[in-house]
Amino acid sequence: MSRCGRTAHLEAVAMGEASPATSAELRAHAKQCVLCRHELNWLESESTMFRQRAGRDEVAQLWKGVAQRSGLETPRAWPRVLVAMAAAAVLVLVVGRVAPRSVSLATDTNRQEEEALESSMLSSPAFLFFQEDEPCSKLPSGVGFQCSPVVPASFLASR
Amino acid sequence: MLRLLQRQPAITPETPDEALVRRAQQNESAAFKALFERHVVAVRRFLRDLLRQGDLADDATQETFARAHAQLVKLTDHDRFKPWVLGIARNVAFEARRVRQHDVLDDEDDGTPTAVIPSPDPERVLLDAELEKHFTEAIGTLSANRRAALLMRLDHGLAYEDIAAAFGWSIPTVKNEIHRARLKLRAHLLPHLTGERP
Repeated sequence: MSRCGRTAHLEAVAMGEASPATSAELRAHAKQCVLCRHELNWLESESTMFRQRAGRDEVAQLWKGVAQRSGLETPRAWPRVLVAMAAAAVLVLVVGRVAPRSVSLATDTNRQEEEALESSMLSSPAFLFFQEDEPCSKLPSGVGFQCSPVVPASFLASR
Repeated sequence: MLRLLQRQPAITPETPDEALVRRAQQNESAAFKALFERHVVAVRRFLRDLLRQGDLADDATQETFARAHAQLVKLTDHDRFKPWVLGIARNVAFEARRVRQHDVLDDEDDGTPTAVIPSPDPERVLLDAELEKHFTEAIGTLSANRRAALLMRLDHGLAYEDIAAAFGWSIPTVKNEIHRARLKLRAHLLPHLTGERP
């Protein structure tokens, strides 16, 4: 189509691949050379058409198909029921970790109180009153026993 | 795994393909998705031009990226994702066409014009709907291989070396094919651009 030796370099000008200096030189040449001018006009027209056409492309929603074929599928959002169940499970775990400690604390406190109470009861004279071995005798009717309470001397002395 | 992800810098529009390819090769799906989003428009347009059917192009685009994902570990030139994925797209399109069996792969008698074709004024070229229709028709008249080579160069800006690698051709063959494709395209477009017959 063209016998000018510089035509082959014009494509780089039209494609924006040539340096500014080379571009300027070749464009200046094309103004004088009919063949190169024709070629440059075509190259630039083609570039313009391809560029305008590319600018109208719409991005299709194709990722889903690629992800399915490649095993890259985006994980689906969890249904609300599953989310609620997971939250409940987490709650149970958290409470489970804290609650036994508080229960054991409460148990310890109760036990201490119980021990203190038991201790005070055991040391109570009234309790001692019933703790003493005492002779019991059968009631005259023959049914049941009658025990005579024995007040310890120490208690009487404290009075 | 979370610690691994946290160490990676965030993916931005400035993240080069090379970095995305390396990260995708380490099974970072977000990096592969970024590559997909960056190139899907070009790949789909390329496939639409090769297959000339939108729905086929959609399916072929998905197949292309699925294959790219499966074969990504083989890509050693990490900065050449685009030519590599367009090469895969070409194979996918040609396989689809073989199934359809109604396209010419190579030109025997290409009817390439030999005379100098008058040129349009690039400043006045406006691709309206009518011209776009003729433009698409003109591209469709090219044989499949020649069309693919032309599109890789003119539409997607690939270097001749990349096209040669994708086709398994020599660089002079690529240049010759693209030159012939151009002449044929121009002959078809000229009446619609200048009102003249070549």
